[in-house]
Amino acid sequence: MSDVRIEDLSYFHAKGTPYEIKALDEIALHIREGKITGIIGHTGSGKSTLVQMFNGILKPHSGRVLLAGEDIWKKPKDIRKVRFKVGLVMQYPEYQLFEETVYKDIAFGPKNMGLKDDEIDACVKEAAEFSDLSEELFDKSPFDLSGGQKRRVAIAGIIAMRPDILVLDEPAAGLDPRGRTAIFQNIVDYQKKSGRTVVIVSHSMEDMAKYCDDLVVMSEGKILLCGECREVFSHAEILESVGLDVPQATKLLLALKSRGFDVDCGALTVDEALEQIKKLYHN
Amino acid sequence: MSGISFGQYYPARSLLHRLDPRIKIILTLLYIICSFMCKNIISYALLLFSAIILVIIGRVPVRIILKGLKGVLFILLFTAVLNIFWTTGDSLLWQWKFISIYAEGLYAALFIMIRISVLIIGTGMLLTYTTTPIALTNAIEDLLSPLKKLHVPVHSFAMMMTIALRFIPTLSEECERIMTAQKARGADFSSGGLIQRAKALIPVLIPLFVSAFNRAGDLATAMECRCYNGGEGRTRMNVRHLRFVDFIPLIVIIAFGAGLITLNILGIGYTA
Amino acid sequence: MSEPFIKIENLSYLYEDDSVDNSPALEGLSLEITKGEFVAVLGHNGSGKSTLAKLLNMILTPTKGKIIIDGKDITSEALSDDDVLSLRRTVGMVFQNPDNQLVATIVEDDVAFGLENLGIPSDEIRRRVDEALSDFGMLEYAKHEPHRLSGGQKQRVAIAGVMAMRPECVIFDESTAMLDPLGRKEVLDSILKLNREKQVTVIMITHYMDEAALADRIVVLNDGKMLIDGTPSEVFEKERMLLDAGLAIPQCTELVHRLRDSGIVLDGDCVDLDDCVELIANSIKII
Repeated sequence: MSDVRIEDLSYFHAKGTPYEIKALDEIALHIREGKITGIIGHTGSGKSTLVQMFNGILKPHSGRVLLAGEDIWKKPKDIRKVRFKVGLVMQYPEYQLFEETVYKDIAFGPKNMGLKDDEIDACVKEAAEFSDLSEELFDKSPFDLSGGQKRRVAIAGIIAMRPDILVLDEPAAGLDPRGRTAIFQNIVDYQKKSGRTVVIVSHSMEDMAKYCDDLVVMSEGKILLCGECREVFSHAEILESVGLDVPQATKLLLALKSRGFDVDCGALTVDEALEQIKKLYHN
Repeated sequence: MSGISFGQYYPARSLLHRLDPRIKIILTLLYIICSFMCKNIISYALLLFSAIILVIIGRVPVRIILKGLKGVLFILLFTAVLNIFWTTGDSLLWQWKFISIYAEGLYAALFIMIRISVLIIGTGMLLTYTTTPIALTNAIEDLLSPLKKLHVPVHSFAMMMTIALRFIPTLSEECERIMTAQKARGADFSSGGLIQRAKALIPVLIPLFVSAFNRAGDLATAMECRCYNGGEGRTRMNVRHLRFVDFIPLIVIIAFGAGLITLNILGIGYTA
Repeated sequence: MSEPFIKIENLSYLYEDDSVDNSPALEGLSLEITKGEFVAVLGHNGSGKSTLAKLLNMILTPTKGKIIIDGKDITSEALSDDDVLSLRRTVGMVFQNPDNQLVATIVEDDVAFGLENLGIPSDEIRRRVDEALSDFGMLEYAKHEPHRLSGGQKQRVAIAGVMAMRPECVIFDESTAMLDPLGRKEVLDSILKLNREKQVTVIMITHYMDEAALADRIVVLNDGKMLIDGTPSEVFEKERMLLDAGLAIPQCTELVHRLRDSGIVLDGDCVDLDDCVELIANSIKII
């Protein structure tokens, strides 16, 4: 099990060209072990760039990435090993499916790790279970599945590497409400059962509020806020100042407060807001 | 990244940028012919001078031009060396064992170097640096349009070119994304022998093809919904009418060619 | 009520498939849409909403039933090529993936594409392209390459391209599904603009509740059948049905419903946040 620590990390897109852009600006961050951390921000805020630092897809131009206390770039030749420890699920991961069968596709990662056949088999079955995929699908072509199923196969392909840290970039993008809830529920269950660290990138505040323990808010390559979910959402005005939406329930309480009602605006979910409002009626 | 510039279009405001692309294509062809009409040292000097003039009118930085030449530096030097050592003639300059260098060889090397560089600079200045790929495609379609009468599908080819130009950046971005995704699953693209590396590309190529086919399907539907019906009865937003001014460059280059021919006839200076 | 602009009669569609449990993607759908209306078609994936879009733009032909647009039966086999062209001009489509519907390498050329296909004179094309670009705030990007634009901007180019053809109706087939919140807002503002200012009939297919709330009318599809048809406030009342159909209702609507369930009297609609704040604030003041 391990945590991630980012120290003074900076990164430039298209470095050395006239189009150079500072994507990450002296980021310092700690991802707690065994928790679900959400990273939120607009397109271009640097959140997708940041998660590609975690597994060494991108190399920082300055600063360090420490995985369980160890600099991942200490031995650049061993960077592939880091990718097995930090599993990164990219945006729209179903576009990475390529094998003839679901089973083979999930096995691609474990195979690259150089595991033996029986170990691979165990990894694939375990990952399929975590991702709520029945074994009947194993022999099907991944291209014949529905959109939601394809996404789950792609996520299983990463979970099968048994990473210490699972990072998901917009895991629910483009799915309908039922699909969204199912994917997030899967991720939460996975975290609970495995006890491993999970990082989710998203721009849906309501989903983040519902599923995350910690939250990191990014804006223009910098960390704007970070800490436990509730604490971050208590700074609603900062979030709104960079154009990020707070959950509707929180917004409602803020609106009531601005009208002079005495409510605590820390509520994140409908249940909590309901309690706050009911109190108003009782007073 | 998406910074891959296709063609080498260099955005600037210049006479050459403004010139009608159809005229530019004809100019380029004439210019190539001119370069082959050079026979003596004065005509080659003029040719080189004309290329420099083109760069000045076209307002493309010399740095960009040199970068373009750098790509063919090896070919330039190679042909020059071949010419120096393999051309024989009357005036022997230097000899050592079986290597002999003649003045003719030096001239031949100089001439070939000038011709290749001028061809590259000239076509670059007249076409690729100063014309967007799309304008070029349209111009080719226009120039070839008489072939439509012979049932050559000129419009379809032009449309294919346009769509290819439109989707190259999209697909190259996609390719990069898929490579990153497979790297995250431990794929290794940078080690092993040739066969192993080719094999490692399968997980990239299959998703790339699948996505390209999907995109093609989507695009076909979208085009149909926007009333695309092949080339028939189509009009263009940007129609350029040729005016007298557009023909001036043609007159200039024909005069230039005529001048070169005259020089050949007069035979002043060293003649190859 | 005037004669409906779009009339869908008993429409069914069955995908050709050999499997045993092959149920129709659409079954007996009837729907009338009047000119100038803004209708949201809501449903989860597989509810039949994208099949409906494909039937409306004549990619598929129905197994049963008819679609009549502007007095013409688009499902008839007797439809001539000219009829098809004029229908495609009258009813524009904006699709889901912004990358896969732009044809040209320069924004303004793309907006001109449809007009060029229609054989419109050059100076008229120029005028309409500039007008459409400025209507949707893309004039300053006229000379840009589409692949350098954001998702929302690409969709606005697509909208400008459709609007330049002066359609009477535009169908949006999940046109916001792949966008981030800012991009979604840009597209939704554009949709509202073309409906309110240009009086264009809009059919917006989506699975986002908060987007559907902007429409005059919501049609909820489930398993290929019509589940609910009504104004946003009427539809949001039916929380149970929506949840069963795999849809989520906005948090504030849920809150009002649950307050009502616990015996608090809240009279009025609660489609968006402002309605909801108003309702609660007023009811507390009364107490």
